[in-house]
Amino acid sequence: MNRNLWWKIVLILAVLVIFTAAIIPTKNNPEKIPLGLDLKGGTHLVMQVNTDDALRAEVDQAVEAAKSRSVAGGIPAPVVRRLSNNSFLVTPAANRNVAEYERVLNDWFGGFSGKRTGQGIEYTLKTATMNEIEENTVLLSMETINNRVDALGVTEPIIARAGSGGDRIVIQLPGVDDPVRVKEIIRTTAQLQFRIVEGTPSADPQGVTLPSGVTAADVDILPGDKHDELGRVNGTQYYAIRKSVPVTGRDLKSANTQKGEIGEPTIGFSFTPDGARKFKALTGSNLKRQLAIVLDNRVQSAPVIQSEIEDRGVITGNFEPQEAADLAMILRSGSLPASLTTLEERTVGPSLGRDSIRKGVTAAVIGFILMLLAVVVYYRGAGVNAIVALLLNLVILLGMMAYFRATLTLPGIAGIILTLGMAIDSNVLVFERIREELRAGKTIRGAIESGFTLAFGTIIDTHLTTMIAALFLFQFGTGPIKGFAVTLLIGLAASVFTAFFVSRVIFELIYLRTNRPVASISI
Amino acid sequence: MEIFVNPKYDFLKWRFHAIALTTLFILAGLAIFLTRGLNVGIDFAGGANVILRFQKAVPIEQLRSQLPNATIQSYGKSEDRSVLIRLPLQQQEGDYAGQAVTRLHNVFNPAGGSKVDLNFQGSGSLSELLKSQDPDLKGRGIAAEQHYARVGQAIIAKRSELGLFTDYGQVTSVPGLSTASARVLSGRSYLGQFNVLNQESVGPQVGRELQQKAIWAIVLSTLAMGLYIAIRFDLKFGVAGIICLVHDVLFAFAFLAMVRGEFSLITVAAFLMIIGYSINDTVVIYDRVRENVKKSRVREDFDTILNRSLNQTLSRTILTGGSVLLILLSLILFGGEVIHDFALLLFVGVIIGTISTLTVVPAVVLFWNKRLSRRQGTYGGGNRAEISRAATRGEAPALSVKTPRRAKG
Repeated sequence: MNRNLWWKIVLILAVLVIFTAAIIPTKNNPEKIPLGLDLKGGTHLVMQVNTDDALRAEVDQAVEAAKSRSVAGGIPAPVVRRLSNNSFLVTPAANRNVAEYERVLNDWFGGFSGKRTGQGIEYTLKTATMNEIEENTVLLSMETINNRVDALGVTEPIIARAGSGGDRIVIQLPGVDDPVRVKEIIRTTAQLQFRIVEGTPSADPQGVTLPSGVTAADVDILPGDKHDELGRVNGTQYYAIRKSVPVTGRDLKSANTQKGEIGEPTIGFSFTPDGARKFKALTGSNLKRQLAIVLDNRVQSAPVIQSEIEDRGVITGNFEPQEAADLAMILRSGSLPASLTTLEERTVGPSLGRDSIRKGVTAAVIGFILMLLAVVVYYRGAGVNAIVALLLNLVILLGMMAYFRATLTLPGIAGIILTLGMAIDSNVLVFERIREELRAGKTIRGAIESGFTLAFGTIIDTHLTTMIAALFLFQFGTGPIKGFAVTLLIGLAASVFTAFFVSRVIFELIYLRTNRPVASISI
Repeated sequence: MEIFVNPKYDFLKWRFHAIALTTLFILAGLAIFLTRGLNVGIDFAGGANVILRFQKAVPIEQLRSQLPNATIQSYGKSEDRSVLIRLPLQQQEGDYAGQAVTRLHNVFNPAGGSKVDLNFQGSGSLSELLKSQDPDLKGRGIAAEQHYARVGQAIIAKRSELGLFTDYGQVTSVPGLSTASARVLSGRSYLGQFNVLNQESVGPQVGRELQQKAIWAIVLSTLAMGLYIAIRFDLKFGVAGIICLVHDVLFAFAFLAMVRGEFSLITVAAFLMIIGYSINDTVVIYDRVRENVKKSRVREDFDTILNRSLNQTLSRTILTGGSVLLILLSLILFGGEVIHDFALLLFVGVIIGTISTLTVVPAVVLFWNKRLSRRQGTYGGGNRAEISRAATRGEAPALSVKTPRRAKG
């Protein structure tokens, strides 16, 4: 047998082994090909982030700041009124002129553009600032949702930005069987808490050492980011946090970014009168200890209490300006920086998902076997050849899907059926050609050769045409259509390989191994 | 086995009859569409779908009085005691499927109170309930969390298997559930009237966008295929291919209108598969036509060549089509509720895609040819010249057979 043929056989076996290995479920990864929500059950949500909320909050902060800055600048507080989601009006106090306020406020409100009107100064958020706020709001919402979904313990959740304005969040939670609870958890305002840290944090949740007199029952072990000397996040560490929650986010009145002694970003916050009382008691009795700022059961930061704090305080730390702004926004809103509206929801209960998988797989297997039987009855020996090619095609298709973690959905099954149809078509085209050539009086060897050669052009044409369409569908399609396109693209590539390479090698192996003339062919 | 040995059917003779029949079908479908409208699913129309499975007989009347705007119909077999509720589109964005489900849950389970409904809640709520009571004395650590998560999931897996729980014996027999845990459950949970199999809401904004995107995907991919064929073969084949695809989609659409099937994103995926199959069929036959034109040494009519090509590829057409139909038939018969409608549409589509390749495509190509050659004045020659030119453009490197003219010269 010639060397060339050997190499081809080795290649085919290698492909078979690699792709089979990709499909076979392992203990760590029992589901190699992720099943879509329509087959497995789970929840798919599309949420609109109402970024206007964040703009309004920004303007509300500015309204308060305009009064306090004026007083700090030595002029009486003006009358300030919010005009819209992104603008407010400063009306000078009696006997004061607009210029005085402009001098004090214009520098402070760098993100706004000020314009004199008959009534005073109208400050409007600059477009760039607005875009920045909207962008941050969406990112922050995503992060918050991410943290909460993590806490739910969902495997392979997808949380992605979508929509032309980028203000939508797509959340896919495979296998989640409790949509009511999920939505509650995603939407509810998270608890912002101020609690006291015990002991020193550790990288191991079990390894947190507690000071004497404190037992494990007194504390919760909560995770938080670990920072290196330069303030970069380099892992997770666990804090022992005292169970009692003396002060929560409800006690906050406002929070915003400020500049520290050397110009570093800090976060200033102030309390409601009631909150201030509680916070004073908390800080007064815990000087020089770490105060954990806990959001959604995660430690955001744990600054050391330097002095008793009453109605306002400052959080210092190695903050990037952006981080400081984010934290301030979280503190202001308590949790999500903006409200969410559900645009789309699809929840397939586990029963329905399970039912459709079982029936779908059974039906597909029955159909596939019927198809293989038909081919063998029709083409006898060569039919077995086609079966090998088809099975390998299926293995490659599923293996590729497992490798790329491409999700299998109902439309994906349509893609697989079309692929199998085209794969069997490739074999049929070749076989029919060989039969024709045999009828025309060619030798078996010649018939096989020209059968493959003549069918080649046709098969390339059919596959290319469909692939072009699949590419367009992949580019422009959404959800199910994309799923269809992905399986189709992978399957077509596999089909060309099996029809030309595998099927041919089998023919060569059986009939063309030696140079002796072939006496009979089973086709 | 061979079914068609050198078949000599005159396909071209029957093309107008076939087209007349399919056109009639399409027109009938169109008439139904215009009078009764299309059953547009919530993907495109917006709105909400809820599928519930009940413990006892479905309380249809009570559902109707609770949801006066909804369309309510039974889902699946009658012993499944399941119902599909379709809520119309609301003006405001929001999660109305969830709201309706919550309302129904309160109405049908008035005595529920703060207890956990084992037929309604998921494994998360169950695990939390057990964890808070800690009947298995696992403490408060991660191990306890994992233990109760496992128990919760086992109970829900059992429910998925059964559809829903009808008595507590089914719950307590779940493997891994201790007697102590079972006692906690019997005190703090109950078996609600229904289980939610499926709930979907699509807001007005998303519905509109999905519709537009689906249409673009179909139109662009069809044009791209037509363009490829026009470049690879010939303009008239490209045009014929597109007309054929439009015909197939219209037919499938007409079928959908007749059976009152739902027009949804899944339907669009089915249309796409039909398009893919049909174009595959068409390309195979065009390829054979091109080859036969190159090979033909005597002066032959284009009609004859076309007919011969259709006959030569007939066994392939039947065998490939038959194989795909076998799989689809199996999906229709055994695939279950979710897949059934989808597979049925594909089944019809594959049949019509095969037929249209034998009827619509030749009709368009011959029509084009005759119009063109009448203008040129030479009937047979016009046909020949047209095809040969396509073949000599050098776009088929795989088949470098000399054209008949050159062979003669």
